[in-house]
Amino acid sequence: MGMDFELTSSLEGSVLVLKTAGYINNDGGEKISEEFEKHFTNGINKVLIDIAESKVVNSIGISYLIEIIEKLNEKNGTLYFCNMDAAIEKTFTIMGLFQFAKKVDSVSGIN
Amino acid sequence: MDIDLLTEKLSLQVESFQESFEMLSSASSITAMSRTFEKIIRGNFFTTKTSIFFRDNEKSEWKILVSENDLHLDKINKLDFPNGIKVFANADSSELVTISKLNDGSALALVMGSKLGGAKYSDIDKVTLQIFLQLFDNSYQSFLLRKKEKQLIFSLNNSVAQLNSLIDTGIEISKINIGDELLELTLARAITLTNASFGRIQKFEESNLVDEILYPPHITIDENGIESRLSKCLDNEKFQYNYKLELFNKESRAGVTQFDETDELLLGAILKQVESAIENKRLHQETLENEVMRSELSIASDIQKRILPDSLPEIAGYDLAGINIPSKEVSGDYFNVYTLKDGRYALIVADVTGKGMPASLLVSTLDASLQSYLDMQIPLSEMALKLNTIVFKASTSDRFITFFIAILNPDSGEMEIVNAGHNPPLILKNDNSIVKINAGGVAFGMFDMGLPFTDEKIILEKGERLFIFSDGIPEAMDKDENEYSDERLDEYLSTNNELSSNDFITSIVEDVKTHANGEHQSDDITAIYLIRK
Repeated sequence: MGMDFELTSSLEGSVLVLKTAGYINNDGGEKISEEFEKHFTNGINKVLIDIAESKVVNSIGISYLIEIIEKLNEKNGTLYFCNMDAAIEKTFTIMGLFQFAKKVDSVSGIN
Repeated sequence: MDIDLLTEKLSLQVESFQESFEMLSSASSITAMSRTFEKIIRGNFFTTKTSIFFRDNEKSEWKILVSENDLHLDKINKLDFPNGIKVFANADSSELVTISKLNDGSALALVMGSKLGGAKYSDIDKVTLQIFLQLFDNSYQSFLLRKKEKQLIFSLNNSVAQLNSLIDTGIEISKINIGDELLELTLARAITLTNASFGRIQKFEESNLVDEILYPPHITIDENGIESRLSKCLDNEKFQYNYKLELFNKESRAGVTQFDETDELLLGAILKQVESAIENKRLHQETLENEVMRSELSIASDIQKRILPDSLPEIAGYDLAGINIPSKEVSGDYFNVYTLKDGRYALIVADVTGKGMPASLLVSTLDASLQSYLDMQIPLSEMALKLNTIVFKASTSDRFITFFIAILNPDSGEMEIVNAGHNPPLILKNDNSIVKINAGGVAFGMFDMGLPFTDEKIILEKGERLFIFSDGIPEAMDKDENEYSDERLDEYLSTNNELSSNDFITSIVEDVKTHANGEHQSDDITAIYLIRK
């Protein structure tokens, strides 16, 4: 059952930039988490997720994002989001993600 | 030991317990807790090598959380599952092994290697260790409570997000017409709200599958890979198609799980919104169409009012009256009496099949053409041919006009007559007998093959009466669908032979209404009544 989630990863300075495409569900959340862990153990504590190409996210996907936020907070790091679909931004707000994560326009908005 | 020194040592120990509890309680996972615990143990007991293991329950295996000696796990595996806290020391008390059951039924094992400098573990160390293990258990319970609290907050936030998404979905759905876009939105929202992995909407015409929409869009559904399923149908007799929405493999962090009652409710709510949106759009469309129809009827009614006469001409030596009562807003009947240039009069009654704007336009065409030909004073049979051609060209195949015309010479009472498929008008003779006028041909607009119309000349003698009418009179029905009938009309005509034209028309309309006995007028009623005094 091939799913259509795709993740690309790059380091821009000290920021890990993850670009998602497709449904952020258990499969998508797991992929994001695995990629995050690789860099987190190397000391990266600023992560930007660009979700321009993801229009749909479920609560399992969100639970992975919350875990990433918690891990980053423990290391004084921050998770950033950019290019959010309006419906996803609303869902993230209701789920309380922006109490600890931040919204930026692009990687240049991260100090 | 000096009492002050003992007090200070105990005080420091209590502080250490408090700090340890705070550090352990703030950990984000059991692994993080165990790492912190290992540091606390090492700091308090000057232990060289420490390992920590965890078991979820009696049936599960030990998991290594911290291990500084590969042999430590072997030692733990030899011990039975604990029912409290147990501390074991080796023969020379250079190593301690503890195993403790935690409050939630899990277990923690700790292996402490030799102390720095090779010191032995004292009895006080063993008691202190028990206190630390109790501390760990309390911190672990606190950690579990915080985890549950987080899950509860997550679950509450998720419920609010679901409700919010339902409301937003309803609004979005109401803005989109039924089609792929609406179905894709519905499917995507249903999938995310229920945590389904993927889903589809199948479109059926009767029982034949005509289309399928998938989400995520490019997946291939393998029936063997489906572990849980939730489906509901969107079928409404008013919809052209039936739709089946299916959701597959409800996700959880532990793997695929079954859909529950909440998922069913959510899916039902989304489909109800789709159904309402489609129904509302249908009703809106119907309202718009009705509005257009009402507007058309209003225009048709205006056209007709201009065509039908407000009053009929006074003809010296005659008593003339006419009536038109439409059954609906716009009548398909037509009547008129024109004064011709040569002093004669044209009495016309026609009946167009159908009603509304198309019928009204056809009546308008007939009236305009008729006026032109009447002025040209061509023979009636020839005029009928020309009118037939015009009506044939102006109308659809299912629309035609029955038509009767009588050109009256008021001086002689002579009438030149053509009847194109209309109800035969009646002449009430002075001896109270009735003559039916059949002369003519087929109705206008049925054929355009040059079929001739036969005209006829009839003299209306003094005292005789001519009744031209539409089928709305003899075919008026009561609730049992009994018609007023030609026979009753003949009888009414012959038994009311003293009435003026106005009184006769009024009274026969009343008689028709009496027959209908409150039933809705099924057809237009139109009539001309002419009495030669």
